[in-house]
Amino acid sequence: MIGFIILAAVMLAGALGVVTLRQPVHAALSLVLTLLALAVTYVTLEAHFLAVIQVIVYAGAIMVLFLFVIMLLNVQGQQPPPHLSWMRPLAYLAALLAAVGIAITAFVDRSPLPSSGQVAALQGGSAEQVGTLLFSHYVLAFQLVGVLLLTGIVGAVSLAQRGNPAADEDERARSAADGAAPDRELSHG
Amino acid sequence: MVPTPYYIALSALLLTIGSVGVLTRRSAIMVFLSVELMLNAANLAIVAFARQWSARGVESALSGQAAVFIILAIAAAEVAVGLGILVAIFRNRVSTDVDELSEVRL
Repeated sequence: MIGFIILAAVMLAGALGVVTLRQPVHAALSLVLTLLALAVTYVTLEAHFLAVIQVIVYAGAIMVLFLFVIMLLNVQGQQPPPHLSWMRPLAYLAALLAAVGIAITAFVDRSPLPSSGQVAALQGGSAEQVGTLLFSHYVLAFQLVGVLLLTGIVGAVSLAQRGNPAADEDERARSAADGAAPDRELSHG
Repeated sequence: MVPTPYYIALSALLLTIGSVGVLTRRSAIMVFLSVELMLNAANLAIVAFARQWSARGVESALSGQAAVFIILAIAAAEVAVGLGILVAIFRNRVSTDVDELSEVRL
C-alpha cells in the first residue's frame, strides 16, 4: 500500500506538471515521469510484459518523437489567453467533479466484480503468455493493428513531405512534362 | 495487494487531469500530450480490471493485457500521424495555437 501511494503521488505530480508547466519541454519530461511511474505500477499489477513495452514504446519512442517535434517547431511558453478566461476554472471544476464521481463509483458499486484471489492465472503477464493469446485468440486484431501502423507510417510520411503549394505545382508540372505516370505522385507524396 | 478500486480512482484522477489539459492548453502539442495522459489512464484501468478478473482463467485474465498492447500500438500510430499533421500546419501557419486554427469549424 505504501508503494502504491508513492507511485500514485509521483504519477499525479507528473500529470499536474503536464497540465501546468509553461515550457513544452518541461511538460513533456513531466509526462515521461508519469509514464515511468505507470510502468512500475504495471509491474505491481502482474503485467511485466506491458511494463517493458510501456518503457520502450511510450517513454522511449513516443516521447522522443514529441521532444523532436517540440524542438523542431521551437514552441515557446504560451501567453495567457486573451479570451475564454472563464474556461480554466470551469475546466478544473468539471474535472474535479468527474474524478470524485468516478472514484466514488469505483469504491461503492463493485458488486459485479469477482474476487481477485487467483492472481496466479495471470502468470506474471509474461511475453510468452500475452503473445500466445495475441497470436491465437486475437490474431485478427493483431493483423489489423499491423495494417493500421502501416497506414499511419504512409500518412505521416506523406504529411511531412508535402511542401508549400507552389512547389507542389512545380513538381506536378515537371512530372507531367516528363510524361511520368500519375501514380508517381504517390511516391513523392 | 492493493484493491482494484484504488487503481480505478487513480485512473480517474489521471484521466480528468488530462481532460483539463485538453481544455485549457492552447498549443496543439500540449493538447496532444494531455491526450496521451488520458490514454494511459484508460490503460491503467484496463490492466487493473484484468487483474481483478483473473479468477476466470488464463484467457480472460490476459485479454485485458492484450487489449492494452493493441492500444499502445494504436497510440503510436496516432502520435505519428498527429505530429505529422502538426508539422504540416506549422509549415503553413507558423503557429500551433488551437484557438487560431478555426477554419474548419461550422
